[in-house]
Amino acid sequence: MNIVTIPLKNMRRKPTKTLLLLLVFLLGVVSIVALYQVSLVVGHSLEKKLTAFGANIVVKPSTETLSVSYGGFHMGDMLLDVKELQEAETTTAIRSIELNDRISVVAPKLVNMFKIDEVAIAVVGVRWEEELGIKSYWATDGAFPQQPEQILLGALAARKLGLGTGDTLTLQGHHFNISGVLFETGSDDDSVILMDLSKLQQLAGQPEAVSFFEVAALCAGCPIEDIVSQIQTNLPKTSVIALQNVVNQRMSSVRFVQKLALSISLVILVTASAMVGISMLSAVNERKKDIGILRSLGYGQSRIFLIFCLEAGIIGLLAGSIGYLAGYAISLKALEYLSLTDVARPVFSIAQLVVCTLIFPLITILSALYPAWKGSSIEPSQALVSL
Amino acid sequence: MLEAVNIQKSFSSEGADVPVLKGVSIRLEEADYVAIVGRSGSGKTTLLNVLSTLVKPDSGALNYRGSDLTSAAEKQLNTIRKSDFSVIFQFHHLLPYLSVLENTLLPFMGSLAPVSRQLEQRALKCLDRVGLADKARRLPGNLSGGEQQRVAIARALVKSSKILFADEPTGSLDKKTGEQIMQLLAELHGDGLAIVMVTHEPAYADLAQRTIELEDGVIAH
Repeated sequence: MNIVTIPLKNMRRKPTKTLLLLLVFLLGVVSIVALYQVSLVVGHSLEKKLTAFGANIVVKPSTETLSVSYGGFHMGDMLLDVKELQEAETTTAIRSIELNDRISVVAPKLVNMFKIDEVAIAVVGVRWEEELGIKSYWATDGAFPQQPEQILLGALAARKLGLGTGDTLTLQGHHFNISGVLFETGSDDDSVILMDLSKLQQLAGQPEAVSFFEVAALCAGCPIEDIVSQIQTNLPKTSVIALQNVVNQRMSSVRFVQKLALSISLVILVTASAMVGISMLSAVNERKKDIGILRSLGYGQSRIFLIFCLEAGIIGLLAGSIGYLAGYAISLKALEYLSLTDVARPVFSIAQLVVCTLIFPLITILSALYPAWKGSSIEPSQALVSL
Repeated sequence: MLEAVNIQKSFSSEGADVPVLKGVSIRLEEADYVAIVGRSGSGKTTLLNVLSTLVKPDSGALNYRGSDLTSAAEKQLNTIRKSDFSVIFQFHHLLPYLSVLENTLLPFMGSLAPVSRQLEQRALKCLDRVGLADKARRLPGNLSGGEQQRVAIARALVKSSKILFADEPTGSLDKKTGEQIMQLLAELHGDGLAIVMVTHEPAYADLAQRTIELEDGVIAH
């Protein structure tokens, strides 16, 4: 028996009213938790889908540029001490950063210049699986290469060479079948020949060599700068650059989903809190007699204030803990309905449960502050009028 | 022990101040038993509420064991209400959702610290004294009016109050139950408890050591 007994027993006295109030706030908590969990998974899924539209980090060898002029002639910029990256070593270094779960695709590329029928053209070696992972917008009139002896031509390169799907191209004495020609993309890919990376390394006599890596990182849970910094730490002799415009575009989509969920949650929370406040206010008016009895027994204003706050806090405590569990369960069902469970699953977190059971009582107490203050301000003489 | 000097109190009614107490002075000694009588509207209940610190007078002094209660801080008044003074009303003196035992212990339930076993035992003894030990776990709604009054009296006993203020304690009871309550009050007074009782019943007023008759907000005699 202590001061908590008073609000607890009072709530038991009116079970229907208490349950209704609990239900209103519980619905609010359930909606907020479910929305939060669903928005996280939807955001993650959205970001994962967006990685198919390009990389957001580039890893390339560190270079030093020298501008060469002599006798009034400018001879352009020269790159000094360019060392190609080693494919396996660099890939492992990128994939082993602390935030490795945020690395979605690592796409290596080797770029070499060749002359084909007196036409100078760039040949880019790629790992097809990774490349298609970040360039889902590519489309071809044929098929993407399945074997090392197959190549893909950019639209402009095909026109320049006068070749098309099904033709054969000879490079360094090796014959390659053109499996397809890319539809125009408006990017550098239009002017190049794309082929298997290992085959190009063999042709160029540069086994394991890679000119640069394109990396698609998921930035929803952490800033891109952290990922860049960790890759840079693992690869100190490289230059790691975040493509901020790509990152910002992608994150704005993800953040939109999260902001939308947050806005809806806020509306729900304010409505539920207002319901608690209104209910407590009517409870104060109903319980003037109780206040009068308590004041005549020496309960000060702070004690009366505490009783009303405890009552609101108990509602928040129950709604917070039950609401988290129910919200989590509902988010699972909602994601099943949205067919998103294969992308990611909401994470059940004891820490989040604890936060909910602490935060929501605080919110209900905040909602009850005015009614509690009003109740505690009633003078014994005012309360006695109702006795 | 408790002295009220020249107490004046008005209430607002339809924008005008209506004087209810017009300079009442009264002195209460240890183990005193005073009955306040008078017609309806004479100011009996207001005087009782002023004496028990539930209503603040507009002017005058209220001294309790050397302290002026009219200028006392709320905290000091709460301490006195909790330990020294007990009030029983004609109706509604118990919280309906707490058991008889919890209502008896209500003055000690104002903090997060649980009520001690000793206090609980004392409360059960006090309930035994008023004949309600077997109904300690019941809710007030299951008790008769007389039993409810006895719970309020048991509460005063647990507190070891110095003064019991009773506002028409038999007003809502039948004659037989009323007499039982008066018998109980007489016993408590015999144990040294000072009692100030408002009553309409001349027979009950005669049980007190002194009777004060109020008429139009002043003491008639």
